Amino acid sequence: MTGHPANGLDDTVHQRVRLGILTIAHEAQRVEFSFLRDNLELTAGNLSQHLGVLENAGLITVEKGYAGKRARTWVSLTKAGQTALADEITQLKLLISRIERAGSAPE
Amino acid sequence: VTTEPVLPGDDPRRLLSGARELAQRVRRAQRAPWFPLLVFAAVAFASIPVYRYGGLHLGRCVVTGPGLRACTAYIRRSGAHGIETRVRPYAVAGIIIAAALTGAAVWLLHHPSASGPVGLGALLLLTLGYLAVVLVPVSFGWVTSTPQHQSRLPDA
Repeated sequence: MTGHPANGLDDTVHQRVRLGILTIAHEAQRVEFSFLRDNLELTAGNLSQHLGVLENAGLITVEKGYAGKRARTWVSLTKAGQTALADEITQLKLLISRIERAGSAPE
Repeated sequence: VTTEPVLPGDDPRRLLSGARELAQRVRRAQRAPWFPLLVFAAVAFASIPVYRYGGLHLGRCVVTGPGLRACTAYIRRSGAHGIETRVRPYAVAGIIIAAALTGAAVWLLHHPSASGPVGLGALLLLTLGYLAVVLVPVSFGWVTSTPQHQSRLPDA
């Protein structure tokens, strides 16, 4: 791996929707499926696919249960998910600063 | 899923600003059910003279009964919004405050002459420390160093 920050980006996390899922999950103890679906403006099927990718990578846990008679699905961030999100944000910042430095350098 | 077309949001600045906006949206949603906590705070403040002049039993009832109900209502209502608020930081802060107040009370028993200014100073310090912990947002630093370059994800 070279020193370019783009090489430090994890495709699983870097995808915009999955980054959004991790971001929302980071802010709360648990987040409900419908909250993610509404705020990320996704269909249920599309969201499920992204959740599957993140769950298989061990970045989130998905719990199914009931609130009264309503079936609910809750998503929470794992330790690995927190680390992956922190790494992604760091790499994004490095990328941005690199772009800005390149943009301000004399030609 | 991994083969879907690259979205405009793949630009790092847009990704970061989008993440920041999502984090803010969650915080706004979490703030919505804070009313019970505000009621609890008001009741707790109002109970101070009751506790002081009305007797211990009445004071404790005023604080603990509605207080517990308010906290439970807060947690339930935030869950109803689709996001469960982190409770652990508040519980840890509560335990630390209880331990600090107990320690202060024990210390003041042995140093009664210092109860006025030292007690007030300790309370002020405790309040400022607690506010600093609660009000300083814990984040990954969604905001980049150059706000003029920030862009938002397109609104739907």
